[in-house]
Amino acid sequence: MRDTYDVVIVGAGHNGLTLGAYLARSGLEVLVCERRHEEGGGLCTEELTLPGFLHNVHANYHTFVDMAPPVTDLELREHGVEYVRPEVQMASVFTDGTALVIHSDIDKTCASIARFSEDDAETFRRLHAEAHGYIDLLLGTLMYQPPMSVKELTKALSAFGVEERSEFLSVKLRVETINRFLDQHFTHPKVKAHLAFHGAVCGYTNDVKGLAIGFPLLAGKIDNWNLCVGGSHRLAHALWRDLAQHGGVMIADADVEHIVVQDGRAVGVRLTDGTEITARQAVASTVSVEQTFLEFLDPASVGEELAHKVKTKVRHKDWTLFSVHLAMDRLPEYAAAEFDPDVNRAWVVNLGYGSPEELNADWATIRAGGLPDPHPNAAVNSLYDPTDAPAGCATGLLRQFAPFALADGGEGAWDEIGPYYGRKCIEEWRRFAPNLTDDAFLASAVFTPHDIVRKLPNMIRGDWMMGEISLDNMLDQRPLPELGQYRTPIDRLYMAGSTQHPHGFITFGPAYNALAIMAEDLGIEPWWRKV
Amino acid sequence: MPVIYTADWYSAVVEAINAHVAGLRGVPEGAWTCRIEIAGDGVSPYVAAGEERHFLVRIDGGRCIWYREVLGEEEEGTVLDYRFSGPAAVFDEIAAGVIDPVDAALHGTVKVRGDMRFLMRQAELVKTLLEAYATGVETTWPLGAPPYAVTGGAGDAATAGAPTTAAAATRGPADA
Amino acid sequence: MSRATYDAIVIGAGHNGLCLAAYLQRAGLSTLVVERRHEEGGGANTEEPVMPGFRHNLHAQYMEFFDVMPMIQDFGLEDLGLRTIMPEAQAGIAFADARPPIVIHRPDQPEATHASIARYSSADADLFAELKHRAGALEGLVAGNLYNIPSAATGGPDLQAEMLDAVFGDLDIGHHYIQKSPKQVIDELFDTPELRALLYRVTVEWGFPVDQTGTGVAFLSFIMWTVGNWKLALGGTHSLAKAMTQACYREGVDLLESCSVEKILLEDGRAVGVRDRRGAEYRASKVVASNADLRQTLLDMVGEDHLSTLWVKRAKAFRYGPSHVLATPMFCLYEPPAYASARWDPDIDRCFYTMVGFDGPEDTIRYIRDAYGGTVPKPAAGTWVNSLWDRSQAPKGRHAATGWYFMPPASALSPADWAEVRATYNERFLEVWRQHAPNMTSENVLAHKLYTPDQMERKNLMREGDFSNGEFSPDQMDANRPFPEASNYRTEVDGLYLCGPSAHPGGGMHAACGYNAYKAIAEDLGLPSPVVATRGY
Repeated sequence: MRDTYDVVIVGAGHNGLTLGAYLARSGLEVLVCERRHEEGGGLCTEELTLPGFLHNVHANYHTFVDMAPPVTDLELREHGVEYVRPEVQMASVFTDGTALVIHSDIDKTCASIARFSEDDAETFRRLHAEAHGYIDLLLGTLMYQPPMSVKELTKALSAFGVEERSEFLSVKLRVETINRFLDQHFTHPKVKAHLAFHGAVCGYTNDVKGLAIGFPLLAGKIDNWNLCVGGSHRLAHALWRDLAQHGGVMIADADVEHIVVQDGRAVGVRLTDGTEITARQAVASTVSVEQTFLEFLDPASVGEELAHKVKTKVRHKDWTLFSVHLAMDRLPEYAAAEFDPDVNRAWVVNLGYGSPEELNADWATIRAGGLPDPHPNAAVNSLYDPTDAPAGCATGLLRQFAPFALADGGEGAWDEIGPYYGRKCIEEWRRFAPNLTDDAFLASAVFTPHDIVRKLPNMIRGDWMMGEISLDNMLDQRPLPELGQYRTPIDRLYMAGSTQHPHGFITFGPAYNALAIMAEDLGIEPWWRKV
Repeated sequence: MPVIYTADWYSAVVEAINAHVAGLRGVPEGAWTCRIEIAGDGVSPYVAAGEERHFLVRIDGGRCIWYREVLGEEEEGTVLDYRFSGPAAVFDEIAAGVIDPVDAALHGTVKVRGDMRFLMRQAELVKTLLEAYATGVETTWPLGAPPYAVTGGAGDAATAGAPTTAAAATRGPADA
Repeated sequence: MSRATYDAIVIGAGHNGLCLAAYLQRAGLSTLVVERRHEEGGGANTEEPVMPGFRHNLHAQYMEFFDVMPMIQDFGLEDLGLRTIMPEAQAGIAFADARPPIVIHRPDQPEATHASIARYSSADADLFAELKHRAGALEGLVAGNLYNIPSAATGGPDLQAEMLDAVFGDLDIGHHYIQKSPKQVIDELFDTPELRALLYRVTVEWGFPVDQTGTGVAFLSFIMWTVGNWKLALGGTHSLAKAMTQACYREGVDLLESCSVEKILLEDGRAVGVRDRRGAEYRASKVVASNADLRQTLLDMVGEDHLSTLWVKRAKAFRYGPSHVLATPMFCLYEPPAYASARWDPDIDRCFYTMVGFDGPEDTIRYIRDAYGGTVPKPAAGTWVNSLWDRSQAPKGRHAATGWYFMPPASALSPADWAEVRATYNERFLEVWRQHAPNMTSENVLAHKLYTPDQMERKNLMREGDFSNGEFSPDQMDANRPFPEASNYRTEVDGLYLCGPSAHPGGGMHAACGYNAYKAIAEDLGLPSPVVATRGY
């Protein structure tokens, strides 16, 4: 590679590539350095089991692609990215053979909820309609702008009298758990279970105080999950394509080990193989805070105080994911299909959580380092993207909430227990879908929390949101107050990845917002800000 | 009492805004151009169905400098800070004080685009501007105030309130 | 895509298709590459199929054409992610009885190579050094052969005789060598059984069936040129494909992945575009080129109804395998193999490519003949431990080893048999490996997996698992490849060209098929020639 660029970006996940593409389109010479052998980070699709079976190793759900500005600004659809919005989005199947199904059609969803509670169905309809009303507004305010503080936000919501004008928004949400919100508005445990489960899959744990504030928005988007045709990696490909077609360069196997600072200003990076690259204008990191400040920078540049904060105050999710990737010769047929045939067409299925209390109990087990009895959720993308498996076959994914560190057992514990736990997860699936006998599975591959870190070391302790999801770690406090506005104490060094507001998941938000800040500092006219 | 969407009415709105803002403290410096896009919806008689009327508002140091209707080429090259768009009936209802503009935004019937962070931080100013728009002018509604019980419906718009030339844009039907 | 119509459409983002696309776009043709798989690269494929963090090249392992490949220079691929390492010890053979290994070094270290062979025979060491030196001077010839549209003279006996006289005449190498098989040439030139074993296998891996008469000169020119001349792509072979793709994008090429072409659209006998399996159509106003294999291109995508009887006959007669059929074992290790033979020469423990399981030439020949004959051979392999030079290919403190087994063509075994091979063969090979390198116990192996020819057929559409998309034999080589009427990359369909390894010069990471296809298209459309005077091609 050449040795000088305008901007060097560390990490070619979707945030790094997005930021790079905008800067390249703005006429800057951009280099994105990726440690792995391919771009994408959490947008990773591989034939983990058998040739022809495309498994999304990390991100499986793309929920913001219909509203994220980069999708249109970078012409990603013209680059070939295609999304399907499954008609049957998500379902819960319960041990008594019943099922609750969320459809893309709100009437069908309410009809399904009504079978458990007509009141809850009406409440949900109102919640959904209300959230839909302000979803663009709030996401535009919150997600695709550099953050304000929780205080400013609640002050503004107060000033506009939002609480009086809304049934579900309230300043009290700031101190409430999702459980409490559900208890206040809904009655049936199974309805609450499904909603709590939905929040959990989005990273919003139902028993964490303050996360109720995000719940109305989650409810508004509950039926708007999208599947990336051809695998999540296709999005990464398109981002890379846009970057490179506009003159940017992404180099894989470029493992950054050091960010060079001169006179308090970031001026370049050095790779583990000794290659030195100069950044004339800026360096942006999209990897973890720990990597950036404790590994890549000289302690003298960081200072004792910030280093100490990074070591002690940066918080990570207290649960992660254990996955089983499956090559299957058939689709699951749920016993609960008798109750509701649509269950067999559900993209994502909650296997068995029948009340929020059951989820709470599992969080307790997980936080203590224990392995819960499996209640995985199952996603069969092939239902809506048949290209992800050979004809007549299906690609399956089981995801189980799990601890990173197992209480009994050290480093190697997950490697040892992985295959066993994977079998248990499959057995649990079979309980609800009895047609999934052993011969249904042509091959399987477990992916433990330790595998997450091995593949993506920036996901510290398997933290796929790259930072705890809690009110204290949101907006301008995320990941630390000093770093909450994408700038760092080092001149021209920026944080632009999922450690930043809004958080992880495929949102493009961190990059888009860091871009706004960088544009100010670098004097770039924000051509993308089309009002 | 000026007729809706006439030059007099625009002046009245400007005056109302400036009167309301006069009492505010901490008004931010700086100027913003906002476009209001009102889409004919087959309900309001003031905008032909399928057509849009555009209005530009300029706020500077909290004061409203001008508020005028614009057509086509006049808009080229205008750098916008905010856009408010929605169906004509909704804007009529706001101007008539029938519905609250914040409600309209929260229900998504009026779409807001622009630096939302700034808008949220300037809640007081924004509320004042909206209040002035919604309640600060006593409006005459020649084709009926919402819900338009007085005369015909959408079909009259082409002959009644919709402008066909730039000149007509600054005159209302009463002047024709 | 950004457009529905392009000037050129390239079917397949294998490295040849990518090469062609870059040159076409640079020449001013708006170009779309459509790729069936979810990623580019075809056989330039590096993945982590066994354990996260352990990287394995599933097909191409050696970068032997880096110094001569035009696209690398013309498009600055080394600035776009292509970086290489050239290990000093290049090719070696170790023995279970711990006798001295033979280690061939980089061409700039002839003394080390000489010393290694001389442990067995000074005469052989001298001759090898001499032949290696002279073959080095033939680089221009080798490159010229690769990067030109074959003519009737290419590989023809007259040219070969000329070359033999000019280069090897004083070494008692007569014209009859042209008719010999590589095995016959190797046996005649070298006495040392160990060296013969090494060279037999090297010959087959570089594409010449060792018993194939009529390819004797290829041993002297091509094999002797390439042996020991290999680089490792940092990050794996896929990085070549990535750099090529990036070069394409910088030129403005569009690429559509997960797009499986079902038909080439024809109007009045002219190729005007493609239709994919979902019914989407993409139009090409000037060129359609196919990196897919011959039968797929002509019989499936064009269709027999649109071809002459002759072309249908030729396409159906085109053979795949047994040459170039491999299986790829992958091992995740704690320690790299430590060979018993290393006590004579520690370089064998740090050798780019090491043969394991061949006690002598008979072993090697039987192995090759078994595979070619349709039987799974007794376990033995060529092996690489790229993590010894490229730390990115394995986690810290671990190593990733990859190998090649020669295997029968995919159709020679049933799916159940292949499943059995996948389930058992690696363990059998590990027993053999342990005999040669005692530290290769099961404790040293974290995990392993085997990728077999039937899987290659499905994954990369390499029929029979043949990475050349067509048998490498004189009746299907040079101006006969894929058959005489189609050997200049043009087809009998106007506007349709072949740019994949079914055409000359076959499989391998040379991008020559794509480069030569560009030359043919450039001639036909009056586009700039890519020839650079200083390199002569």
